[in-house]
Amino acid sequence: MFSIGHIMTRDPLTIMPSESVEYAAALMNQHRIGCLPVVENGRLVGIITSRDVRCSHFNRLVADAMSKQVVVVSMECSLWEAKELLERHGIERLVVVKDGRPVGIVTKSQLYAELGKHIDALTGLDRAEFLQRKAAEFLQDEKEIAIIFLDLDNFGAIDKEMGHVLGDKILQQVAQVLRSVVEDGIDYLCRYAGDEFAVVTTRPLEDAKKLALRMVTALAEENWPHGLKVTGSAGVAGGRRSAPRSEEAKACAVSDLINMASLASTKAKKENKQVVVAGLVELKEAW
Amino acid sequence: MPSKSLFPSAPSESKRKADVTIRLSEFEIPPMQDVLLVGKRAPIGPEAIRRMVNALSPDQYEVIQLDHDIFEAAVLKKSLARLLPEEKLLPIVLEEGARIATEKTVVKAQVNIVIQVSQVVDL
Repeated sequence: MFSIGHIMTRDPLTIMPSESVEYAAALMNQHRIGCLPVVENGRLVGIITSRDVRCSHFNRLVADAMSKQVVVVSMECSLWEAKELLERHGIERLVVVKDGRPVGIVTKSQLYAELGKHIDALTGLDRAEFLQRKAAEFLQDEKEIAIIFLDLDNFGAIDKEMGHVLGDKILQQVAQVLRSVVEDGIDYLCRYAGDEFAVVTTRPLEDAKKLALRMVTALAEENWPHGLKVTGSAGVAGGRRSAPRSEEAKACAVSDLINMASLASTKAKKENKQVVVAGLVELKEAW
Repeated sequence: MPSKSLFPSAPSESKRKADVTIRLSEFEIPPMQDVLLVGKRAPIGPEAIRRMVNALSPDQYEVIQLDHDIFEAAVLKKSLARLLPEEKLLPIVLEEGARIATEKTVVKAQVNIVIQVSQVVDL
């Protein structure tokens, strides 16, 4: 559901390198498309875009106008990985390949439209699916991860007593505060549900605990509307894997970690602590 | 009153002729000379030229991709490189070519290399 294979345009129109740029332009116009993967003997050898066509003489061969460096992805690539690739290379589309053959194309607009469905409209943060996918990616790459689960204290009471409009404003402000604490490229923040926020991070468990503490402290020190006091309790769980397992098993292991962090945050709330660490678990059995 | 035509009446017998001039000359094989400099936006690119020279004169030319303001590639007759190393010859050709060419042109160059040798031998 969150992979490129589900949203790509299948069986894209292709062109051979020995065709002319003029023919490529005519094909693009006829089919109202912005690029053509260039294929020779069934293998992807380049890509020609409408920009390449504009910059090249119409008499040229496609081979002399195409870009030879094509950024490709597999059908299993996640939407977020694809987004990172597009942004890193500053490109508009990705060619999806299977065994070296182009099987689909994904444009930036297609990808962003799909990703928009997984972004929380109120806070602008990613939703829970992103956290799960990112955690699974890290584990796949043999990285140690930690999940921080932060639950706001008595937020239901604020909603009931001050109304949902103010409640929504506070949730937006919480998102801003937490964003200012986490570090891009290391920590990935999302709104998990309602008044619950979560972070997946590649920091070691001890550092993750420090981050959780900074998050809770930042909320406590923030100036809230109407002099309200907004606090949160956090739970931290760390995990690492050893051997590769199936997709299903990966999702299961990540869910277990999130669950552990969530229970730890509940414990923190009950015991009136800022942060409770559930510990670091080996995910051998779960995988 | 009959209307008067603005155009003169057509001649009763029209005559149309065609002059045919034919210039015959030998087609150069290959139709290029010693060096070709291919502009970045020329009507043909290095891959098209590579296919052409490989078809017309197999193994006689080398296509060299360039990092140059005007030219994308140079096509060099391999026999020239035996007389003068490519790294010595190309800068000279490129410098002169850049004076007359634009990105949209393909320039062909005829290069004559004379090697002068003077040796002293003991009598």
